[in-house]
Amino acid sequence: MAQPRKSKGQTAQDDPAGMGDLTERLKDLSGRIEAEKAEYAESRKLPESSMGDASGYAKGYRLVSEFVAGTLVGGLIGYGLDHLFGTMPILFIVFLLLGFGAGILNMARAANREPPAQDRSGTNPPPPAALDDEEED
Amino acid sequence: MANDPIHQFQIHDLTDKFHIGGYEFSFTNSALFMGATVLTITGFLLLAARKAELVPGKTQSVGELWYEMVHNMVRQVLGPEGKKFFPLVFSLFSFVLVANMLGMFPYFFTVTSQVVVTATLAVFVIVLVVLVGIWKHGLSWFKKLFIPHGVPLVILPFISLIEIISFLSRPVSLGLRLFGNMLAGHIVLKVFAGFVVSLGALGLGGMLGAIAPMFMAVALTALEFLVAFLQAFVFAILTCVYLNDALHPGH
Repeated sequence: MAQPRKSKGQTAQDDPAGMGDLTERLKDLSGRIEAEKAEYAESRKLPESSMGDASGYAKGYRLVSEFVAGTLVGGLIGYGLDHLFGTMPILFIVFLLLGFGAGILNMARAANREPPAQDRSGTNPPPPAALDDEEED
Repeated sequence: MANDPIHQFQIHDLTDKFHIGGYEFSFTNSALFMGATVLTITGFLLLAARKAELVPGKTQSVGELWYEMVHNMVRQVLGPEGKKFFPLVFSLFSFVLVANMLGMFPYFFTVTSQVVVTATLAVFVIVLVVLVGIWKHGLSWFKKLFIPHGVPLVILPFISLIEIISFLSRPVSLGLRLFGNMLAGHIVLKVFAGFVVSLGALGLGGMLGAIAPMFMAVALTALEFLVAFLQAFVFAILTCVYLNDALHPGH
């Protein structure tokens, strides 16, 4: 409270010094506002980042299990078909590799899964239609 | 016996076996804790909603937080038309969460550490996804799912096969993840706690040596609480994601 009153008195005494003081005060004020803003942003960000940490942990678990499940299911299908047709190792190997591919695909999809789309109004979104046209060309 | 890390997962009958229509049934500790889970959820939510105040008390706050978290998740992933799946997702999330949390109590049985339970939940979700997909889009839903757009005809059979395996692996990954996390977590916890007990019995040197596994057990307990929540969350969000594939096929 003392600071502004003193500077006001200076402004009344001589003009150029008063102007300098004013710009200085302005600079000081904007600096303080910046600091306040940064602090506010920090305080807003903190819980979100800890939540992001936890969901990163969840994501890691997800990616691993997607991959393992893909390979496992592929291998099991191959094993079952081999059992059915009596071609023991061939289909097992083929489907194990396909399952590996499916696992990688699942993992890539899980990693790239976009954050929720903004517009959900149309039941038939345009991108697939565009792709459909492209295919027919 | 007391230090056997697998012993906690054994299912035993609490009552005599009885027969319904030629099948043998019995009330097991697993069934008891499933019932306890449902009772806990129902009881807590009834308590939270008992007197709805404008300024919520502690219990009501937790209830509202719980509800709103699932509600936001469903709305974000499924959009407005996913609203009718909210009760399902909320029930699944609550069941898994409370079953996991009840399992964290000493001497309690962890329902979700049984692969039968988690696989049943996962298969239920996937069957529902298939039914919703057929109901919304007819049989062309499978075509949309398994034959992606813009793929050259030469590699299409290959891609379709991979897509089919990818789809079939969903219930496996959904069920195995929850089961694996709960089983592994509880075994590791028990093993480290067992170290403390058996080292502590060896005398002073053993007691000093037991300090490290003691801290480990404490840290693992905290981690297990995190995992218990996260796995319930992941299960619920994946249910939403798969339902979204049923509502809006085509990646």
